[in-house]
Amino acid sequence: MTQLTKQQQYVAIKGTKDGLVLRLDDKCAYSDLLAELRNKVAEDGLDGLAEVRVDTGNRYCNENDLREIMNIIHGSPNLRVSKIQSDVITMEECNTRIQEKQSETFIGIVRSGQVVKADGDLVVIGDVNPNGRVVAAGSIYVLGRLKGIAHAGAKGNRDAVIAASWLEATHLLIAEEMQLMTDEITILSEKPEMECAYIHPKGFIAIDRLQELRILRPQLSTFKGGI
Amino acid sequence: MGEAIVITSGKGGVGKTTTTANLGTALALQGKKVCLVDTDIGLRNLDVILGLENRIIYDLVDVVEGRCKIQQALVKDKRFEDGLFLLPAAQTTDKNAVNTEQMKALITELKRDYDYILIDCPAGIEQGYKNAVVGADRAIVVTTPEISAVRDADRIIGLLEQEDIEPPKLIINRIKRHLMNTGDALDVNDITTHLSIDLLGIVMDDESVISSSNRGEPVVMDPTNPAAIGYRNISRRILGESVALMSFDNSNKGFFNRIKSIFAKS
Repeated sequence: MTQLTKQQQYVAIKGTKDGLVLRLDDKCAYSDLLAELRNKVAEDGLDGLAEVRVDTGNRYCNENDLREIMNIIHGSPNLRVSKIQSDVITMEECNTRIQEKQSETFIGIVRSGQVVKADGDLVVIGDVNPNGRVVAAGSIYVLGRLKGIAHAGAKGNRDAVIAASWLEATHLLIAEEMQLMTDEITILSEKPEMECAYIHPKGFIAIDRLQELRILRPQLSTFKGGI
Repeated sequence: MGEAIVITSGKGGVGKTTTTANLGTALALQGKKVCLVDTDIGLRNLDVILGLENRIIYDLVDVVEGRCKIQQALVKDKRFEDGLFLLPAAQTTDKNAVNTEQMKALITELKRDYDYILIDCPAGIEQGYKNAVVGADRAIVVTTPEISAVRDADRIIGLLEQEDIEPPKLIINRIKRHLMNTGDALDVNDITTHLSIDLLGIVMDDESVISSSNRGEPVVMDPTNPAAIGYRNISRRILGESVALMSFDNSNKGFFNRIKSIFAKS
């Protein structure tokens, strides 16, 4: 233990205006880091309960590592972890994030029994026929007639929308919400042209004119600044 | 080297077998050498419609299992001088008796001797469908102006588009003039835009299709019958001719009304 204190400190506690930050060294061995963290947490004679942010810097920690770090810190009755931040992610995570941001394009007709899936947004140029299914983690845009099933925000994104030149779907799903397009939905009796479906603040799926989208979901636009 | 065309629909009872029999006969009437293959193993019908039921000796399963040569199993239609042959399906077993490799080899062998091989596909999308499609170069999808038939056609077109064959073509069968004119049945335009594939032809609903099938004589033999004209036009389109689509708007109004409508237009 005495040896450690002589060396450069691996765990630094800093006070910022947002509260305490526990800066963990990213160059040293992980086992050394944990050992010092245990010491620091045990030594610290803090009063009351302090919230700390943990910063792992350029060290990649998987979920187990993070849990271990949290457990050590929570070993002290005075410390609570409010947030863990890191400067690095794995390639895999990075690729999924890129995919989720991307928009995939399908040209053709999604016919009965077929499923088209996208990790990000999905643009379908063509019709989605009855019993055809389009699924996207992001939003779905159909340049054609949507007459089948559409599931936007399939991984839980409640801001996702479904827009179509002709919105005549049998089932609309956004995140966990589902709307059966039964005859009672009056919108169907009118011309279902150029419309979009979104989750209303009250929690149900609503359908509106496509033109309303820029007011309903301004964040979907990726253009910044004025034109 | 001939061409193999599969005739399919997804849904049962829309007229695949009748269409196969009539198109085969129409192509034979045009002087082509045609072989019809019934792949509906276990529920064979094509032989009955052609009136060849009592001439069957061997069947498709006998051929693929090597119990006979193809030539021995083919049933010749006496109405045509070496123009029309049928390879009947087996009735005593089921669709799993044959696999896709066997079917492919069989159709390839037939293509050497015939100009056209028309494959009558069973209903459904299981083994029987796979067997029927595997050897085909082209596909014809048969549907009727009913929503259920159109839905199944959509499904089957989706499956056909994944195969390594030309884009399928559509035949709309059993068109009832009065229902289509009053808007009670889907019209030709609705169906083709919904399915968005090329229309190969339309066939009118006609009672003599049933009566002639029962006699074992395809309706296409009668050149004046409206359904027969539809089939003959389709066969000419298969041969590459361009034939205008039959009109069916005024044809049931009678002579006087037709004259009247000509004046009404001007």
